[in-house]
Amino acid sequence: MSGSAPVHRFGRELSPRVLGVVMNLPTLLILALVLAYPIYYAGYLSMHRVTLVQLRSGVFPFVGFDNYLKVLEDPLFLLSLGNTLLFTAFTVISEVVLAVMIAILINQQDIWTSRITRFLILLPYAVPPIANGLIWSFIYNGKLGFLNRLLYSVGAIDSPIDWTANPDTALYAVAVPYIWRTLPFAILLVHAALQGISKELFEAASVDGAGAWHRFRHITLPLIMPVIVVLLVLRTSFAVAVFDEILAITQGGPGDATWVASWYSYKKGFAPPFDIGAGAASAFLLALLVATLAFIYIKLLYRRVD
Amino acid sequence: MANEPTGKDWDMNRISWGAPGIGRRAFLQSSSAGVAMAAANGAPAWAQGTPWADVPKSKVDKLNFVVWTYGDIYTKIAAKFKEDWGVTVDSTISAFNDHPPKLLSMFAGGESIDVSQSSPYSFWNFISQGLVEPMADMPGAAGYVADMTDMMKTVAVHNGKLMGMPYFSTTWVWNYFEPLLEKAKFEPFKTYEEFMEQCRKAKKDKISEYPVFWVAGVGLEQLPGTWLQMTHNKGGVFFDKAGNHQLGAGSIARETLKWWVQTFTEGLADPESLKQQFVGSAKAFSAGTNLYRGPNHHYTLQVANDPTQSPNAGKIKVMDSPGDGRTIGTAHVYFVTTANRNKEWAWKLLQYLGGRTKDGQYSQAINLAKDAMLGSGYNSVMNSEAISKGWAPYGDVPKILEIWKKTTFVGEVCNSMYKPWHFPWSDRLNIEVQKALTGQITADVACDNIIAAIRQVQRG
Repeated sequence: MSGSAPVHRFGRELSPRVLGVVMNLPTLLILALVLAYPIYYAGYLSMHRVTLVQLRSGVFPFVGFDNYLKVLEDPLFLLSLGNTLLFTAFTVISEVVLAVMIAILINQQDIWTSRITRFLILLPYAVPPIANGLIWSFIYNGKLGFLNRLLYSVGAIDSPIDWTANPDTALYAVAVPYIWRTLPFAILLVHAALQGISKELFEAASVDGAGAWHRFRHITLPLIMPVIVVLLVLRTSFAVAVFDEILAITQGGPGDATWVASWYSYKKGFAPPFDIGAGAASAFLLALLVATLAFIYIKLLYRRVD
Repeated sequence: MANEPTGKDWDMNRISWGAPGIGRRAFLQSSSAGVAMAAANGAPAWAQGTPWADVPKSKVDKLNFVVWTYGDIYTKIAAKFKEDWGVTVDSTISAFNDHPPKLLSMFAGGESIDVSQSSPYSFWNFISQGLVEPMADMPGAAGYVADMTDMMKTVAVHNGKLMGMPYFSTTWVWNYFEPLLEKAKFEPFKTYEEFMEQCRKAKKDKISEYPVFWVAGVGLEQLPGTWLQMTHNKGGVFFDKAGNHQLGAGSIARETLKWWVQTFTEGLADPESLKQQFVGSAKAFSAGTNLYRGPNHHYTLQVANDPTQSPNAGKIKVMDSPGDGRTIGTAHVYFVTTANRNKEWAWKLLQYLGGRTKDGQYSQAINLAKDAMLGSGYNSVMNSEAISKGWAPYGDVPKILEIWKKTTFVGEVCNSMYKPWHFPWSDRLNIEVQKALTGQITADVACDNIIAAIRQVQRG
């Protein structure tokens, strides 16, 4: 065939730009179906009056931004938002710090337990969120829970603490099971990034006299920063939407100590009087919050990496 | 009563023909119209022409119900219906708390739903949103209403129309743990002052670290129910008949809340109370570490005194509320939805859940009384051995029935439950009262916030 033009089934070769569009089209279509349409529909619902009657009839009266105003004027939503931000900050910071520490630990090839540890660390990720919540509600039980028994037996406490019935500890008591369940994902990401760092860099730094802290600060951290940014975006978006542990452990209580935004949306939309329009508006506001946080992360942290 | 179901007849598959639960009105109906149907459907001659034994003229391939889980009763009912009528019944069963969302999503999605169920708190919402099909014109409906208890009629009959059929009824009772009372040499208290004295002494003498276990978990009935019951017992209401709140300064409800908070402030109340729902609280109480368990559904005695579930079965006793003993109760219903396939057949299935089966028995009500200690919405069942013998393994039946006579439907004490804003307001009430009970705010602030929340939720 040398010297002759290549044979193409469709007559001529596609330009790189067109080929790119064609190759991406299936993904775009799937994303449009599973992501864009639900987001659009939630936005649509949020600007209409939607209760049981309207859902059945399919006729949704347009109400503009009334649902948003209703939600933003509700002190319970604002309080839920505050709790959500506190929960998110606590869980995301804890997860990133713990993930980096644990990933570095299990990345040490010379520690013989690292393989077993790697396996065990993955286990919580396999536990369904609701089951996780129920397990921890037993662990936290004021009188019979394992946690109090453990703390009491080592002399850390004199009397049982009701972790989830105390408004000062309840939100953190829910955060711990959440971190326990989702931490493996963060560890996996960081661990994968660590494995991509050349050993020679560390060896050269050691030869130059850099200690462990300096090697971490000037080699490890900058090189895993892109992964940390991804981690921050993902973990933030999931933490903002925390629901299962709240449902299983506290159901928003005691008082309003663990009312978070997704719990608020659920109660608005799925409990009588089924105000789905307002529920969608609160969910949409939550999505805007996540998008804003993601934007800030990328703007601030990616710039630092560059 | 001549028409009492017998104690031996509880098993749906073994219900006898001997003394069926048929009222005089139903008997007259059956006499006038029944003979011609005798050969048609295999029912005994006396049952022909009765609303529970007649074959609907129309045909359906299948029916379905959407209910919350309760043992295997729905599997049995579906099988019995298929056996009796040859029609398959599909069941969608979810957890109690997931039931409204499940029903909502199916209804909104245009799915067929023949029969479902509701708590009294959701029922007015379901009716106002067009989910409930009136049943007043269905054969035998009037007879059922005539046999219903007053409390059940309050829920099931709306603007003179039968909208639902009885699932179960309850009354709120106090419980005490007999061994600890004997150890402390106490008699069950007669006044709230005596209650506090006993609790303080029991704590001081180290008989119990937390003498009282309240049912104060977040919910529609748990925490609000405890406050409501004690308010009603002391002669108060949350709203008057005109719908004006009765939570202001000096009100019985507010003073009751202050008193309730005091039990936590003094360390008399078990902190675990704030997390427990009814059954969970019964299990916690059956551990035998508290003297008293605050007012709640009578049927949780079935859990506390069941040897397979409780380490102290038989030692949990029922007692009256202080003063004149007045208390509150609830009634739950089954209903046909407006998304039904066929109204005639849906009515037939509804009767299997909330009325009579083909043999004329209140089979479901009788089984629930025996297996779960639930009260019935029918007078004839409440006066039968299903109650007097069925409840006996779990509690003092005459005492509970005596309390039953002093029971007022919860909606009479808190008529906001007939309003669409009751649910969001109830959420706020739960929050504020729990904050008061955990010492974050005072009872006065909690009540002021609850009053302010009424206006907020009324705006929608």
